[in-house]
Amino acid sequence: MSAGDVETPRWRRLLINRFVLVPAAIAVAIVFWNVYVSMHSHGVVVGRVVDPAGQPVPGATVVLWVLNFTTYVEKTRATTDSAGRFVITDNDSHNIRLAAEKPGTGRSARVPVRLYFRAQDIELREPLMLSGTS
Amino acid sequence: MHRYPRWPIHLALVGVSFLMLIPFYWVLKTSVTGENIFAYPPSILPKSPHPFYYVDVWYYIPFARYFANSVAVSMIAVIANVVLNAMAGYALTRDFPAKAFVLLLFLSCMMVPFQATIIPAYLITGRLGLLDSYLGLALPQCSTIVCIFVFKASFDAVPRSLIDAARIDGLAEWRIVWKVMLPLAKGAIATNVILGFIWSWNNFLWPLIVTRSADMQTLPLGLARFLSYQEDTTGALYAFCIMVLAPGILLFLLAQNEFIRGLTSGATKG
Amino acid sequence: MAVAPAVAYRPPRLARKRTRQAVLVWCFLAPSLAIFLLYRIIPLLWNVVLSFADWAPLRTMRWAGLDQYEEMLHDDVFWEALWNTLLFIASAPVGIVIALGLALLVSSEIRGRDVYRTIIFISYPLMTVAVAIIWRWLFDERVGLINYVARSLHLVDRPIQFLNSFVWALPSVIVANIWQMLGFYMIILLTGLQNIPPNLYEAAANDGANARRRFWRITLPLLKPSLFLCIVIGMLNSFTSFDLVYVMTGGGPGRATELLVTYIYKLGFSQTRFDYAAAVTIVFFALLVAIAWMANRLSGGNAGAVETD
Repeated sequence: MSAGDVETPRWRRLLINRFVLVPAAIAVAIVFWNVYVSMHSHGVVVGRVVDPAGQPVPGATVVLWVLNFTTYVEKTRATTDSAGRFVITDNDSHNIRLAAEKPGTGRSARVPVRLYFRAQDIELREPLMLSGTS
Repeated sequence: MHRYPRWPIHLALVGVSFLMLIPFYWVLKTSVTGENIFAYPPSILPKSPHPFYYVDVWYYIPFARYFANSVAVSMIAVIANVVLNAMAGYALTRDFPAKAFVLLLFLSCMMVPFQATIIPAYLITGRLGLLDSYLGLALPQCSTIVCIFVFKASFDAVPRSLIDAARIDGLAEWRIVWKVMLPLAKGAIATNVILGFIWSWNNFLWPLIVTRSADMQTLPLGLARFLSYQEDTTGALYAFCIMVLAPGILLFLLAQNEFIRGLTSGATKG
Repeated sequence: MAVAPAVAYRPPRLARKRTRQAVLVWCFLAPSLAIFLLYRIIPLLWNVVLSFADWAPLRTMRWAGLDQYEEMLHDDVFWEALWNTLLFIASAPVGIVIALGLALLVSSEIRGRDVYRTIIFISYPLMTVAVAIIWRWLFDERVGLINYVARSLHLVDRPIQFLNSFVWALPSVIVANIWQMLGFYMIILLTGLQNIPPNLYEAAANDGANARRRFWRITLPLLKPSLFLCIVIGMLNSFTSFDLVYVMTGGGPGRATELLVTYIYKLGFSQTRFDYAAAVTIVFFALLVAIAWMANRLSGGNAGAVETD
């Protein structure tokens, strides 16, 4: 502690220093980000499948491809329930593609989905639309 | 004094600043959109930017590994630099028989650029068994003559009375350095840290020669390897560039004054 | 304190203290000296020895006299690399002149001076590898920005293959180098400009000298040490500019941008011809010393120091 109380105490000078503030802010941001990632990375992919008329399609098969170096390989499949929703629970990649198909109703295009971190939990905003031709 | 209009100066400087900043903007734009790698003519503003190239860089290039390597090597180099240079700078303020010879030696070492020593330095590092290790990467950078002279100038500026008082008090030599001189040489330490860190961080040729395994590569090396593997066909390369440049720019903006002071004072040898 | 006769006899206590101090000084100097010995002096001498020998790893060294140098005389690549290096060095003054103009602009009394200084200087501390990639991208023939601007301004009809042509490759690398070094030169010149006492200008203005005469008679002579420093560091930087050339062109189409440094690296680590590379290194170093000595002589022989009143 300095002799005169007029100047700011030493610990305060140390804290306001820009070489302390900036790394501390970065460290705090990193900690928060890691906490967020660990809370939201269960690999859950949720979406819906609809037919060209917009009606949900039960019993359609949804295929998940993950990026392996430069190509996409098939990882897992899921089936839609009676409301046309599907849930995939073991995605571990950050760059995936999804396609749905139901014999008799058609197949959808391969939709690329890019995530912010591996195994990010995501719910697709747009449903996978089947093409309508078998 | 004459009064001359200011706006032409501002105009010229704004033009020059524009030219200096355009490469950064262009790379930033490409790293968030990935357009314009194949398409022509390029668009000036980014259309539909997305940060997913950065995600690709993080996972596919082992960015964390390269970053950690660069940080480790730089820390070893900087800490060794400060300690060794301070010691040598202090020794040069004392009078001893061979002082002129040692000074001449140091000055002549300044004339020898690093590029003139790469092959024997590689052979020496191999003989020492330090190839492909952090110590081998950091060792040639552990002392720089410019910074020795910066420390020497800073120690020379300490008033003699302080040293004499400390000596009369009976302090041992190294305690004098530690308690009396180093606190007064904070500027020299800051200069040394900044310069040493930036030189070590940006060093490309020596890691290129010394690293053998992909695990020990530093950031510049990783960047160059990525370019040679993937050419420039993906926005991920430019995202990598931005991720590599960002710490340098941040550090520079934080420590600008120390950096400039170090360059101007160290460059004009005393 | 005991009075000691002013002759060679020293009381034992003082002699012990002297040796203790000398030992301490040498202990402090030893680590730095060891590093320089290990990585500057011994490599230089080893290069000299290697250049007169015929050696490969795992073979015994044989004395070869001037064989390596003779091979160098007949090596076209060596001469091309030497020529490119000299061109590269000769381009440093261009950057310095531009930086002088910038320094004059930035040192005038305008607001936001520090911002301009930061923006111009920011390119210097960056990683040269990243700068090389950026400029490689800008110079690209299909989608590069420079070609786009040239074609939009109708300067050329078809895109120029900057990094693939024998004519344009080296100038492109030089432009990238100048872009990076501009800030550094400007900072040195700014410091030099700030050290000129302003009363000189006032006195000259009172004597009726206009701006141009003030520049040529006052500014330039007093900037000589800073200019000399810029030239020396600029030439050193161009001489040893491995990162930029290696990443931007890798030696250029053919050998159009091959510098002595890149040639030494390729000889040593691609072809593993350590002895021949050592000979080229010796020539490289001799050239450096020659140029530094010539620069010193040309600037007045006192390392550019200016006389103070």
